[in-house]
Amino acid sequence: MFYAGLDIGSTITKVVIKNERKICTTVIKPTGAEHRRLANEIMEEALSKLNLSTANISYIVATGYGRINVPFADKQVTEITCHMRGINWLFPNVKTIIDIGGQDSKGIKVDNGKLVNFVMNDKCAAGTGRFLEVISDVLGVKLEDIGEISLQSTQPTNISSICTVFAEQETLLQLSKGTSVEDILAGIHKANASRIYSMVKKIKVEKDVAITGGGAKNIGLCRALEERIGFPVIVPPEPLITGALGAALIASEETKKIGEKELTEKQLNRRWEAVTFFDEKPTK
Amino acid sequence: MKDVNKKTGLARAKDIYDHRNKRARELKAEGKKIVGYFCCFPPVEIMTALDFLPIRLLGDMDEPITVADGYLPTVMCIFYRSTFDLGMKGRFNFIDGFIGSHACDAAERTSYIWSNYIKTPCNFFLDLPHVDKGEAVNYFKVQLNYLKETLEGLAGKKLGIEPLKEAISLHNKQRKLVRELYYLRKPDPPLINGSEVLQVIISIMMIPVEEGNELLQEVIDEVKTRRDIPDKKIGRLLIWGSLIDNIKFTDLIESSGLNIIVEDTATGTRPFWHDIEETEDPLVGVARHYLQEVKCPRTFAETDTSYREDLENRYSYLKDFAKYWKINGVFGNIIRNCDIHGYEVPAVKDYLESLGLPVLIIEQDYSTASLEPLRTRFQAFSETIG
Repeated sequence: MFYAGLDIGSTITKVVIKNERKICTTVIKPTGAEHRRLANEIMEEALSKLNLSTANISYIVATGYGRINVPFADKQVTEITCHMRGINWLFPNVKTIIDIGGQDSKGIKVDNGKLVNFVMNDKCAAGTGRFLEVISDVLGVKLEDIGEISLQSTQPTNISSICTVFAEQETLLQLSKGTSVEDILAGIHKANASRIYSMVKKIKVEKDVAITGGGAKNIGLCRALEERIGFPVIVPPEPLITGALGAALIASEETKKIGEKELTEKQLNRRWEAVTFFDEKPTK
Repeated sequence: MKDVNKKTGLARAKDIYDHRNKRARELKAEGKKIVGYFCCFPPVEIMTALDFLPIRLLGDMDEPITVADGYLPTVMCIFYRSTFDLGMKGRFNFIDGFIGSHACDAAERTSYIWSNYIKTPCNFFLDLPHVDKGEAVNYFKVQLNYLKETLEGLAGKKLGIEPLKEAISLHNKQRKLVRELYYLRKPDPPLINGSEVLQVIISIMMIPVEEGNELLQEVIDEVKTRRDIPDKKIGRLLIWGSLIDNIKFTDLIESSGLNIIVEDTATGTRPFWHDIEETEDPLVGVARHYLQEVKCPRTFAETDTSYREDLENRYSYLKDFAKYWKINGVFGNIIRNCDIHGYEVPAVKDYLESLGLPVLIIEQDYSTASLEPLRTRFQAFSETIG
């Protein structure tokens, strides 16, 4: 039996297809502005990688901010629970999860595989991937390189602004003063980590701590967070897929709760199409 | 003969909720005087006894705040900001009297600014002590006398003891009917959902007390025998904190795996949970009720020596609510910058968690435009419950 988890984030969409024992395939693609069209396209891509058809998937769980726009999903679960389940499967001793996404960040507390508390920042760019995107733009450096570059700094600049827009101004000011790019980046990562830490502190940071989401791929950010937290953190090998993985795990659980007849009925009645609200034409 | 097209029960409540000022305007055209008031402390009994229609002044989560910025500071309660904004835009231009109250700082300051800039024919500010013992009750009774005198001036007649006693009896009957309505939420699933209850509560704050009582009885009779009851959901929620006055908010909560069972808010149990004691001098019972029995943190109840005893003294009624209605989660609703509830959060959270109840605290912007991001929080909260 195959189970699918679909995590439609504000920036990146992820699919995980797994069977009873392991993850069979993953797909990671940018969400773009038209996630409701793309959900089924990304699913189809994942299925073709395994030479499967839609009929082979027993249960599909959708998560992420775009989860309500997946007509072929059998259930929607918040990304908070899904990240928790995904990490709990990979690292059962983790008690605190810090998810750093493109446009939001979250703190999640786990106890014995159950979600016990959470905190979210989805109002302010500071403390999210967007903060780093803006700064890397201003510095003319590729987003995927800023982490490594920041580690070369010997004297991190002090970035005093809390707000992304003002931090951008400060960055320009520092550049004009001749401050090195690595020092600025180190200061920026510290500032971003500081915002994230203030938020997660509200639910008490307890060992073991794991970092997920795109932000986890930034080694500079992970180090900056470790410094604030005071001990090392766990970074999963592919931090982007933990939400989709959790969704797939919940999918497999759900099949055990319902009978075979209901399962088959669900599979037959699934609508494999994009959501359209009216007669739209694609913008591309 | 009853008009067959006239809506009754829940349908009528929805109608009144959707057109909140309609009945007041109708009655005004017939010669009745309308008095608008802030919060649940100005005694509606005095207003009813002098033949006024009391209407609760609320904000509008659907209306962007545009005018208030020129008169009110930015960092203040958004609810009173919205209410003042509506007043400036003429939403309440039909009221004959405005009764502001010292419910909280925001209400107090906004009351004075209202009197200065919104030309209601009659303005009164009701001072309400923040403590509830001894001298405070006497002081409050004196303030109620001033209120009575001002309203007598507007009514053109003196307030008689009998009309006041009659009004107290009618409003007590309303309280009893509201409690009866709330008991219908005890089953699992409840027989009536949070949005429906909110529509009823808002409605009775906009129409005469007798009509409100009639509406409540209709709703109770309808709900007792209805078949289309809400779905059973994981969460049985108690809402504590700032008021909710828009069903888009309750709809969002109830579509996230949670059933709203009871609200400890100013548009929930607080105005209705205790009856006014029928004292020989009716104003004594009135003063005592509003100061001592309306359970809002704006009234500082005398505390005992230890922290735990203090929590018990302030919040034990929440334990009773949770037990009676079989609550398994609490949503602490804080309208941004609400000092009254904001400062209570650490203590009330501590108390509720000591009872084993999960608590979700959200500081929100009193705007339907910013409701949708809250959906994930409510859904995740229902996922922590079950």
